[in-house]
Amino acid sequence: MDAIRITNLVKRYGSKPAVENLSLVVPAGTMFGFLGPNGSGKSTTIGCTTGLLDVTAGEIEIMGKRMTPDSADIKRRIGVMPETLGLFEPLYAHEFLAFVGRMFGLAETVVRDRVSELLEALELTDNSKTLSEYSTGMRKRVAFAAAVIHSPEVLFLDEPFESIDPAGVSLMKQWLRRFTEQGRTVFITSHVLETVERVCQEVAIVTKPGKLVWQGDIRTLANDGVLEFDGQKFDALEPLFLHLTGERSADLKWL
Amino acid sequence: MNPVTIGHLVRLRYQLLWAKTRSRNGRIALFLAGYLLLVLLISLLASGGFGAALLAVRSGRAEKVAQAVLAGLFVEGVLAANILGFGMNAVFADTELRRYPLNAREREMARHLTGILDPFWFLFLALELGLALGLYGIGKGSFWFGFIGVLLLFVSNYLVARVVGLFIDHLMQRKGGAPLLLLFIMMLGIAPSTLGPWLAKHPEWVTAITQPLRYTPPFGAAAAMIHPDMVGVYGLGIILTWIVGLGALLSWMEKHPPRAHVAENVKIVWDTPFDRVAALFGPRMAPLVAHWLRFYARNPRMRTLFLMSVPLLAFLTFQSGRRMGPQSVFVAALGTVPVATFLGTSRFSVNQFGYVGGGFRRFFLFPMEAVANLRAGSYASLTYGGSMIPVALVAFTLLSPYTFDIRMPLMLICTGLTGLFVLNALGIWVTLYNPRKGNYNSNFGNDLSLGGNILLIGGVMCALMLPRLAYRFQPWVVAPQAWWVYLMLPPLAFAFYLVTMRMAGPIFISRREYLLAVVEGRL
Repeated sequence: MDAIRITNLVKRYGSKPAVENLSLVVPAGTMFGFLGPNGSGKSTTIGCTTGLLDVTAGEIEIMGKRMTPDSADIKRRIGVMPETLGLFEPLYAHEFLAFVGRMFGLAETVVRDRVSELLEALELTDNSKTLSEYSTGMRKRVAFAAAVIHSPEVLFLDEPFESIDPAGVSLMKQWLRRFTEQGRTVFITSHVLETVERVCQEVAIVTKPGKLVWQGDIRTLANDGVLEFDGQKFDALEPLFLHLTGERSADLKWL
Repeated sequence: MNPVTIGHLVRLRYQLLWAKTRSRNGRIALFLAGYLLLVLLISLLASGGFGAALLAVRSGRAEKVAQAVLAGLFVEGVLAANILGFGMNAVFADTELRRYPLNAREREMARHLTGILDPFWFLFLALELGLALGLYGIGKGSFWFGFIGVLLLFVSNYLVARVVGLFIDHLMQRKGGAPLLLLFIMMLGIAPSTLGPWLAKHPEWVTAITQPLRYTPPFGAAAAMIHPDMVGVYGLGIILTWIVGLGALLSWMEKHPPRAHVAENVKIVWDTPFDRVAALFGPRMAPLVAHWLRFYARNPRMRTLFLMSVPLLAFLTFQSGRRMGPQSVFVAALGTVPVATFLGTSRFSVNQFGYVGGGFRRFFLFPMEAVANLRAGSYASLTYGGSMIPVALVAFTLLSPYTFDIRMPLMLICTGLTGLFVLNALGIWVTLYNPRKGNYNSNFGNDLSLGGNILLIGGVMCALMLPRLAYRFQPWVVAPQAWWVYLMLPPLAFAFYLVTMRMAGPIFISRREYLLAVVEGRL
């Protein structure tokens, strides 16, 4: 079964298109990278897919069910780490995570156990600070913990690795690998192409405004293989990405 | 000194002001109109100052009137800058300025220039200049002495406002600082009405109090305006001394910023009073209501307003409840009890999502209908607001001069509940149609939208005025005999609240992208 199926998705803000006719299929059990330059509609796509934003046209299915802003049953099965993190600044990390766990209907004992475990694992045990006083990396960890606390089947992570230290990234990657090994799905957007190359099995690349230009299996890169496109061979994700999204060359002579 | 870069920074402050208005639809025209009005206001104020000068000369007590006018303006400037935040929010932080090629002294200069070159301070400058020019025009003062006096007074006024602002910041960071400040504000509010009659009986104290005022900047400026001789020079010297002293104090305070109270690593508490109260709303709503109760309770301004509302409204009840017959305190209380249910939570009731920032999008990721978030926030407002009714009743019973009559508390409960439901229902409409991104941590300043201000100020004024009007035109309506009339009000108000909630649901869903853009600061 497909974990995510997006068909002819269109999202416009007024007359300005953010996503144009995007169709995408993400098989269950995959770590899926969703890449594109800034402003190419990645976060908007996640917003539409998770029910935050209204779609202008098109259809979205998660785990075979049609997603709408009120699809509570689907929302219970997905976890989302938004790009803006979606934290409530005046709360302490344990309060925030407990709140999220309760909102997803976890039993009180489960909430307490999982919050304690997550805080310990993500090294967020400093209870003297509210979320507003946390560093960017720590806030990101809290948002990640909030996305996984209810053990979802599909996980949407919008730029999860930026600002997190290497040890934290390594830990998260371990968890995500185990997550997909259990048949669950991770949908990641990121600008760190090396990381995507290492953790993702499949990748989709979009350009402005939210147009799919390439989708394919990238596992071959991990075994020193190459990707072929337009009759050209690419030995890494970065040259392919730059080829597809348009390599920019502006020469600043004074720099 | 780097005047060009500093000049660019002052310009940037105005560009930011402009950009703020430009990003909102149709606000450009408003901005222009606002500035035209400002120019008009400045002209009016200048002529107002001129009028004060005329009065000063005609009364034959030119210096005394000048002293009173300048001292009044001086105090108003300090209060408005600190309580309403005018002219203070524009000041760049030192950390913001560190990215530019400026040394410490230049950064200090840039910060204070952006602060003092604010339209707010120009209003005061215009009035003071009007007074100085008026006195000069009538032949009672020297142009240059007056002009220099006003400029120095203007600078000293800004410095005092900054020092007071920093002192408040220092105070708020200390344990017990907030109640202390609250007490001070209340004393300041009550002082004129209580001290006035006492001073009228003891005029010798007036002289004793005003004597030291001769050494303050407003009195120094008044002396400079009237006396173009050594007395005037002495006046200017007083202001200059203050400027030097305040400058040094400000510099010292800025170098020793308030240290945030660092809490020890606290033990995690799972079952809090918020959770226990929220459990009354059922298992489905409990986590959300608990969240909102906690979110409201952590807000410094809500805590301040909440604490202040009881003594403030008690004061209003007894002060405004005059000339309304033998039961005047009761009649006034019919208006103040509803205000008590709304004042504390007003900041959130009229702008529920304005302070959640990026957290707003989290509400739409939870597996429940999104409108539950709107409801839960409103229930939290009702819970806090409703809790003020018994407090107000106890205060009324203990302090009112009447023998106990069960009809009176009953009527007060009814007006309290009516105000609670009506004002919170109206607050939901403002939340949906006129939201504004606010600063959760700010204690002072007005960050409500136009609609929020209209509802807050208009709602409070209506609640206070209605019993007064009823007493004047239909006195039987505010008499205890009319208790049965009041029984009808809460059900009607509750029905209005329910209808609002029902209608607001679909609107909340359809406007969520707009709300998201506003609360995340993109609109």
